[in-house]
Formats: sequence, C-alpha cells, structure tokens
Amino acid sequence: MIRAKAGGLEIVFSGRPFADAYDDLRGRLAASPDFYRGASATVVLAEVPSADELHLIASTLDGAGIEWDGAYGLDNGAAPLPKREPPRDAVLSDSARSLVADFEGARKDLAGRRQRGERRSPPALVAVPPRTVSAPPAEPAPEVLYHRGTLRGGQSLANVGHIVVVGDVNPGAELVAGGDIVVFGALRGVAHAGAQGDRSARVYALVLEPTQLRIATTIAAGAERTGAPVPEEAFLAETGDRITIAPAGHPPHLKSTAEQS
Amino acid sequence: MKARRIVVTSGKGGVGKTTTTANLGAALAVRGKRVILVDADIGLRNLDLVLGVEKRIVFDLVEVVEGRCQVRQALVRDKRFGESLAILPAAQTRDKTAVTELQFADVVNNLAEMCDYVLIDSPAGIEHGFRNAIAGAAEAIVVTTPEVSAIRDADRVIGKLQERGLPMRLIVNRVRPEMVRNGEMMSVDDVCDILSAELLGIVPDDPEVIDTTNRGVPLVLDPAQRLGAIYTKIARRLEGEMIPFTQLGSGGFFGRLFEALRAG
Amino acid sequence: METQRIVTPPVDAPQLEIHAPPAPVESQKKPKTRGRTIVVTSGKGGVGKTTTTANLGVALAARGARVVMIDADVGLRNLDLVLGLESRVRYHVLDVLEGRVSLADALVRDKRVPTLYLLAAAQDREKDDVATDAMVGLVEQLRDEFDYVLIDSPAGIEMGFKNAIAGADEAIVVCTPEVAAVRDVDRVVGLLGNRINAQLVVNRIRPALVRKGKMLSVEDVNAILRLPLLGVLGDAADVIVSTNRGEPVALDEASATGAAYRAIAARIAGEDVAAPQAAEPDGFMDKLGSFFGGRR
Repeated sequence: MIRAKAGGLEIVFSGRPFADAYDDLRGRLAASPDFYRGASATVVLAEVPSADELHLIASTLDGAGIEWDGAYGLDNGAAPLPKREPPRDAVLSDSARSLVADFEGARKDLAGRRQRGERRSPPALVAVPPRTVSAPPAEPAPEVLYHRGTLRGGQSLANVGHIVVVGDVNPGAELVAGGDIVVFGALRGVAHAGAQGDRSARVYALVLEPTQLRIATTIAAGAERTGAPVPEEAFLAETGDRITIAPAGHPPHLKSTAEQS
Repeated sequence: MKARRIVVTSGKGGVGKTTTTANLGAALAVRGKRVILVDADIGLRNLDLVLGVEKRIVFDLVEVVEGRCQVRQALVRDKRFGESLAILPAAQTRDKTAVTELQFADVVNNLAEMCDYVLIDSPAGIEHGFRNAIAGAAEAIVVTTPEVSAIRDADRVIGKLQERGLPMRLIVNRVRPEMVRNGEMMSVDDVCDILSAELLGIVPDDPEVIDTTNRGVPLVLDPAQRLGAIYTKIARRLEGEMIPFTQLGSGGFFGRLFEALRAG
Repeated sequence: METQRIVTPPVDAPQLEIHAPPAPVESQKKPKTRGRTIVVTSGKGGVGKTTTTANLGVALAARGARVVMIDADVGLRNLDLVLGLESRVRYHVLDVLEGRVSLADALVRDKRVPTLYLLAAAQDREKDDVATDAMVGLVEQLRDEFDYVLIDSPAGIEMGFKNAIAGADEAIVVCTPEVAAVRDVDRVVGLLGNRINAQLVVNRIRPALVRKGKMLSVEDVNAILRLPLLGVLGDAADVIVSTNRGEPVALDEASATGAAYRAIAARIAGEDVAAPQAAEPDGFMDKLGSFFGGRR
C-alpha cells in the first residue's frame, strides 16, 4: 500500500480499518528505515481522519523522513464511504436557481452586445479578469500553482493552469484558475475553475463549503451543508448548465498542457 | 425622476451603519419604493452579508468603475422584495484606493436613474472610503450610539458633512432605556442637543439583532422582530410623514416630539 | 465655523489640575530589554479595540511595567476619552512628529497608574498627515524607554491602519462573535502578513445566546481565524459606563470584565494563567495544517 507515483509516494489507508493500515505502514517503514527518506507522499484515506489518526500518520512519516504533501479520500469499493450518495445536482436553492437564470440573462446580454460589435463586453464571464492571470512572457506560467497556508478574506490566487492549495480558503478569498482547483482543506471562499472556458474543469476540496462556485461560465451559489464533511468534487453536468457535486473519488488528475488537445 | 441619494455614515465603526442601511432599505422596499443599496466599504464589504446575498455576487463596484461590466449586471437583486431591492456590492479583494470620488459619484448618479432611493453604506472613519461615499450623496443619515466616543466621532463627521453642504439627520442606535433611567447612559435628547442634529429615528438595543444580521434576514421580514416596525417608521419619516417617536420609557420625549412635528 | 466641543462631565468632577510635565524620560530607569510593540486592531469598527488598548495598558502598568499607549486614530481620537484623560491632553503625535514639542512634553501620565503614559492622536488632522516611516521611527524610539508600546489602531484597512501596524511586531486582534466581524478580522489577519505575530481576543460573548444558537461561539469564530486565543470577554454593561466615564474597568477590582483584562495582561506578560474559556480550534484543517507547517 505504498505506491510510487509520478509526483512521489502514495500511501493508501483506505479499504481497511485504520489500525491495520497503520500497523502495516509502520512495519514497512521499520523494515527499510531509510529507504523512503527524503521522499514526499500523499496519503489516501477513506474519510476525514480523526485528530489521533492524523497525529499517528504524521509522526510516523516524520520519523521516516517522508514529507507529507497531501491527503485525499478514496473509495475503492471495498470500504464504501460512510455516507455514500449518488452524484446529485448541486443543491441549488430557489435563489440560486434564479441566479442561474440571472446569469443566463447576463450571457444573452453579452452575446447580444458582442453581436452588435460593442467593445466593452465584460470578459469576466468568459476569461479570467486581466489583473492576475497573464503571466509575464519571460517565465511560462506554472502548470500548477501550489500554495501552502490559509488564504484569508481579500486574498486571491490566479493561474492560467491549475491551482492546488494546502490549507483553507476562507470566505472572502478567491481562486481563479484556467484549469482545475484542488484544496486540501476547507474551501469556503469563491472558486472559479476553467476560467478561460474549459468546461471539463473541476473543483475538489476536502471540505467543500464554498460561498460560490464557478466552472467556465456557469455559476452556482454555495449550498447549505448537512452532516459531516467528506471530500467532494464539483464539475459541470452533462447538460452543461448545472454544477454537480459528488463525493470525491480522488482529486482530479491535473492535465498537463501537453496532454490537452 | 431621479432618486434621492443618501449616505449612511457615522465616523465611529460598529454603531450600526450597515445594519441601518440594510434595514432601512428593506423597509422602503416593502413600502413599494425601488431601492438600490451601495456598499462603499471596498475591501471590508459586509452589506451583502447582512442582506444574505453574499453567495450571489458576480460583479462588484470596482468592476463597474473599471468598465468590466455594466452596472445592471453588478446589481444583485434580493428576491424577497421582488424588483424593489438590489445591492451593488463592494469588492473584497481590492482596497478603497481602487475608486476615486468622481468615479463613485458617477456610478451613484447612474444608479439614481433606475430607482427611487440610493442608500450608500459608508465605511467607518473619515478617510478615502468615507470621502468616496459622501461624494455620491445629496443627503446624509448619521448613525450614532449614546456613548461619548461615538458622539465625538459623529460630531467630526457632521462637521465634514456641513463642509460639503449635505443636509443630515440623526439616528440614535442601541439605546438602553433602563441605563438612561439610571443615569448610566445619555438620553436621546442629550445626544441631539450635543450634536445639534435633527432626529430621524431612535432604535433600542437588542442583542438578537446580531443573529438576524448573521443570518442575513432584514428585520422587516421577520414578524418576531419588533425592531422591524421601528425601521418602518424611520422609512416613513424619511418619506416625509410626521411620526411620533416611540416612548422608550426615558423622560423628555414630548419636547422632542413637538419639535419633530414642527421640523417635518 | 465653530466646532462643537463635547465635554462630558464625569460623575465626580475633579478639580482642575495644573498639568506638570513628567520628568524627562531619559532620567528614568530604562528597561533592560527593548520593549514589545503591540498593535490592537480588528478591521471592523466598534468591536472594542480602544477599550481593550486602554484596559490592557492599565492592567500591564498596574503590574509594574512601563507602558505607553499611542492613539493612531488621527482625526477620530478616542483613547484619551476612554481613559478619562481628555482634559489633560495638550499635545499629540503630530506635534511630536512635526517637531513642535518633545516626546516628553506630549506624553500624558496617568495619575492613577504611575507607569502608564498616553500619546494622544490629533483631532483636527487627517491620517494621511502621518508618514509611515515617521510612525515607525517614533515606535522605535518609544520601545527604548518602555516595556510595552500599545498602538490603538483605527477601524478599516486604509492609511491609518497601515501606519498603526507599521511599527508593531505583535498584534492583538479583537473580534466579536458576528459573521461580519469575522470576515473583516480575517482580512486584517491576512494583511498583517508574516512579520507580525497575532493573537485573538473575542469580545462581547453572551454565553446564553450562544447556547440558544443565536450567537457564534468562540470556536465558530476561531474555526475561520485560526489564531492563538489570548482571551474571551463578555458583554457587560459596566464597560459602557466605564468608557463613558473614563474609568477603565481594569481599575475596578469588583468588575468581572476588569478581571478578564487583568488575566489577559498576565498572559501577555508570559504568565500561565488559566486557559481561556474556549477550547483550541479543532477543525480538520487545523490538524492538517499544523502537519504541513502551513502558517496560520
């Protein structure tokens, strides 16, 4: 259950009781104490772990010199997530539904204005606001913008590619990505994935409680949460006009620009 | 007919400007007026929160000023009030230097073509954000509490309003009648005398108001809230009706009442 | 145009005293180490910054520390009022910065607590009149003479706020249990950046309302803010009376709020006082975050 992946190690805890997986990990690390030293690892869990479980994992990895990069939830079928639900439409309240209708109106307005050749069509619905995304020509924009630490209200991150945050995104903070957005923490601010029009973009978070989600030109107000949080992912439904939220398998495979057609 | 453009300000922070703007706007909307609320507190926006529309913001004041959207697209309508209440939110990720006084005044004038009332929620203080907020206004409502530091700040702000020739009226917020009776708090009469200001409204202290602002429920919509009726009265007074001030149980109100009737 | 002067007579009006300037600061005993510089701020107005600055100043000085409080709210000064020293203020920060008077002349010593000093703000000036590096220079000068330099920040995040935090190494962030306050405070914590160590004081908690679910709890507040908790204060009526009268509650042995401020002062001074009312934030991200070494 220690797998080598492109970005580092993957340590899988899901699929069996925590105690067993933990003992197994300890055993492996004890057998080859320095083999993994200096490596970085992501940990795959079935559900949000308890404080004690986290502490055990952390101290064990620390002792073996392994840097812990991230964690995500995985349901491999053998141990279903405790609250498995079929993928459901984002719970759009009445106000959010009419919000979509409002934006529909805005899009028609936009289309109409473009047709009439008006210059001042607001780019915000289609492209990322110019203030942040275009990288200086000297350096290529990073494919993935990593940020460690909590993003506070009023702070924002933008990237033409993907964004990965290891930390919380507080209400009032904003993420704008041309690609996907992955938050190893609580996403409570505004996240805009596929900001340049990529409708396949996804938003993933360990705790998905955003103020607002945007994928390409579709916008949804954050829904009320019930129950304990599980890692979740948001994406555009087939029909294209709704943002769907489902308990997450794993974080999206972040497509590199080389892979995109 | 162009709208009345009113800035709600105070000097002192935390006396209830945003709560007043939201609730007064809601009360006017319930009475059939078309109201647009403008949050001038760029970087520390709260009006959207207090109204409960924070999840529906797409564009904001700064994007309007920078021409990245039309002002109509930035307006967030509060569905609970049909077409009568909308808000132009502030930006959160910018600061107040993003907008000049002239730009702000332009936006407000633009809005004034679309409604009956533009209420501008001013930030605390007397810095750039405050100057922007008053730049768009033709009248002012000064909110204060019956505490010395609030009154001192209100006094400073009134001075600034007078420099600009803005007529103003006063709302005294968070009055605790039992403390006034015990001599532990100034009476509303004292406040008005010190500030030489005409009274628009008296709002008693109610710790449960915080819950309504947390939940984004304007008081006029919640029948359990008696303060809703008070904001309705303030709205009517704003419209020109002569409404007596609520007898809050502290002395000296009848004198005030007659004065108010004379003032109109 | 005549500006109105607001004079609020305290309940027992003291005799008018001749203000004797304090002894030149240089001749007094210097602390062995440089003083700590702490800004008290919040973003949101009206949460209790000035009251907290005043009471912590009093409480720290009552323990024997040499404390100077600076009112950074140019144009809307209130620290002097809350302390009851408004009638003794002759000069202000800008008089010092613009070279009209010496620092020693401008400092007002509090007769109730002899090691407590106030540097008032100007009432008839603007915050833009203060240059940030002048402010930093002043704070640097003061920390050589005092154990604590407390800076009372204005509300907002504009120039006044930036000047207030410029000279500080530490911050006490004051927040009330309201969603709007938490949002503003979060913004400010973000603006404080890596340089300044911040701790949280939650003010105006009403446990009964929290129990009824009508008020945020300290845990709710710190689930977003994720700051070390320095103290929790209730919402007692005696604070309003005391600020109106200019008698900080920290002077009042019988006041529960005063006791809370004294406990916070003890914690600031490094004492291991009984844990603050609320437990540590225990959100998932907090556990995760500490393993990643993510900064709060």
